[in-house]
Amino acid sequence: MSKKILIIDDDQDIRSYLGDLFGDNGYETVMAEDGAVAMEVVTAEKPDLITLDLEMPGEWGPRFYRKLSQSDEFKRTPVIVISGLQANKYAIPKAIATLTKPFDAEELIRIVKDTIG
Amino acid sequence: MSKKKLLLVDDEEGIRRFLGLTLMDLGYDVETADNGESALKLIEKVNPAVILTDIKMPRMDGIELLKAVKTDFPHIEVIMLTGHGDLDLAIESLKFEAADFITKPIDDEVLEISLNRVMEKIQLKDQVREYTENLERLVEEKTQRIVELERQNAAAQVVEGLSEVLSSAAHEVETGSGLFNELPCLVSIHNRYLEIVATNELLKERLGDVVGMNSFDIYSDRENAGNACPVQLTFKTGKGQRSKENFIGKDGEEIPVTVYTAPLPNKNGDIELVLDISVDMTELKRLNDELLETQYKFQRLFDEAPCYISVQNPDYTIAEVNRRFKEDFDEPIGAPCYASYKHRDKPCEKCPVQRTFKDGETHQTETVVTTRTGEQKNMLVWSAPIRNAYGEIKQVMEMSTDITEIRRLQDHLTSLGFMLGSMSHGVKGMLTALDGGIYRLESGLRKNDQERVGEATAALKNVVGRVKKMVLDILYYAKSREIEMESVPAGHFLQDTAALIVPKAAAANVKYNVDIPEDMGEIKIDPSSMSAAIVNFLENAVDACEPPLPGKEYCINVTGRDLGDIVEITISDNGTGMDRETKEKIFTLFFSSKGKRGTGIGLFISNQTIEQHGGSIRVESEPCEGTTFTILLPRRPESKKQPKACPCT
Repeated sequence: MSKKILIIDDDQDIRSYLGDLFGDNGYETVMAEDGAVAMEVVTAEKPDLITLDLEMPGEWGPRFYRKLSQSDEFKRTPVIVISGLQANKYAIPKAIATLTKPFDAEELIRIVKDTIG
Repeated sequence: MSKKKLLLVDDEEGIRRFLGLTLMDLGYDVETADNGESALKLIEKVNPAVILTDIKMPRMDGIELLKAVKTDFPHIEVIMLTGHGDLDLAIESLKFEAADFITKPIDDEVLEISLNRVMEKIQLKDQVREYTENLERLVEEKTQRIVELERQNAAAQVVEGLSEVLSSAAHEVETGSGLFNELPCLVSIHNRYLEIVATNELLKERLGDVVGMNSFDIYSDRENAGNACPVQLTFKTGKGQRSKENFIGKDGEEIPVTVYTAPLPNKNGDIELVLDISVDMTELKRLNDELLETQYKFQRLFDEAPCYISVQNPDYTIAEVNRRFKEDFDEPIGAPCYASYKHRDKPCEKCPVQRTFKDGETHQTETVVTTRTGEQKNMLVWSAPIRNAYGEIKQVMEMSTDITEIRRLQDHLTSLGFMLGSMSHGVKGMLTALDGGIYRLESGLRKNDQERVGEATAALKNVVGRVKKMVLDILYYAKSREIEMESVPAGHFLQDTAALIVPKAAAANVKYNVDIPEDMGEIKIDPSSMSAAIVNFLENAVDACEPPLPGKEYCINVTGRDLGDIVEITISDNGTGMDRETKEKIFTLFFSSKGKRGTGIGLFISNQTIEQHGGSIRVESEPCEGTTFTILLPRRPESKKQPKACPCT
């Protein structure tokens, strides 16, 4: 069974991009456009990995991450931060990787492969 | 020690508390009362050396209190505390023998000087009394001797003894070996025949050699029993007198004095001599005038300086402000600086005044204040310590200079930089979306996936549109362009402008109704900037309908109306709408409700353009129900385009 990745980003274009990118590399994807919706998706879909944008109109990434880490079931889900914010690596120190937009697609795929195979 | 006891009388609790604390700091034992009546009740119990009293109080005011004190307890000195307005009352109070007056708000330093002065006066009086007592004792001793002599010798010897006493007393006066000559007073000694026996040097200087003259000769208008001089009264009543008199100077001029007399009785209780100590009021008055003049000069400087100046206490309260400060801010005195000046609930961070209190250095900061009229001003704030005689910092002066104009010039430049900074995030998002579009286009082509290629192309178009708009916004803002007016047919112009948005509306699946009559006459505008301004509203209307709620049909209506001298354009949508805060901020630079999709420049520029054309915008909006913008444009904007008349020309 292919691994499932949850993409959290408010930009439709970027969600489609990441969706196609992961799909082409053999992963299944689910989407959420902000942190509030994302938690429901996590519960319903139980993703193996999450890519997280930081600044979103609804609920910001760090807040979502706090909720995630408070859940015993999901707190070990690896999170990759993909954001345009400067100094974003300080926002979520426990993220397995922090990429700055515009990011390198190959680097992202390598990190994902190293993490969930 | 009872000398250090003060009674503070003021109806304001705050003043009693703060001034009370200050006075305690100065080493006084302080009791307080809230009006004259309760003060009088306290006096006997407390026996203060000095009373500090406010003038305007309910029940019994300061002047009445002063009169009562001076009648019943003449030894207590009274200092009046007065507001700026009641200087007349203050001067009046001097007539009733107040020791001094201090104007409110009370400067600690002035207070201390005044108290020291009064304390000195009390000390002086005590010394005089002591001396008088000494003198009495001296006279007594000598009289004793005389009595002895009398017993031993003949009456002739008595006379000799008596003259010895007198000459010994007089000798001390004349040679200045005693306190007499150090006093800034006119001192004379009179015998019971109302002859002047001796004077001190100062009196001789001012009145000439009057020894041997009649006591009343040195007074003007005091000649007979019905109009007796204080010396005569002292002999008559046996009690010390205190009154305001005029001496006749050496050259016949009148010298106003306050006279104190003391009887010097002999062993039998008969008054042998009278001591007359007079204080020259002209000298006091001159000093006082000089002080007032200096104070006035400083006050004028303080008031007229083209800055806001305030004097602040360590607890952030404002003790004094200059005229300009008073003009622009609501009743600042007594209120904390951060509340009345900066309109904050808490002290400002890095308050320069507090830093000056700590290190005694001057500090500088910059802030924005809002005046009474709502005008916002950028201020450069300096603080400087005010030290008392001991070099301690009791208050700090804060001086603010208006640098709004300088800031306004800088603002344009800095906001450009700021804008680029704040937008870099959005730019990064767009670059990522571009990467994504290219990736999807390439992979679609490689896989021959037509659907993906189509989607990728659409996404790329969208992103390129966003990039283009952002670049244009930046270029527009970076260049402060002049509007170039030309006359165009209003109907055509609006129809063309409205048509620009048709593809975007269609892509978003929003119904787009345009109701603009062909013939709406001519309008004088800058077509390119006005078109951009209106397009901003139209694009926002489409954006407000995204992302779509399932099952909801979205619709935008654009109408144009000819209202005679004015052309009305309404743009309404039934999209997300705005709450009140958003509505108030939409025309602010860099405000965007669209997250990283917005630059926060669009409506700012639209608003500016419409204002340049002398037009106006009205916004009605309810969350979840939609928004209606109504734009009113005058047909000929020239008249309204005039810059606001400058008040100085």
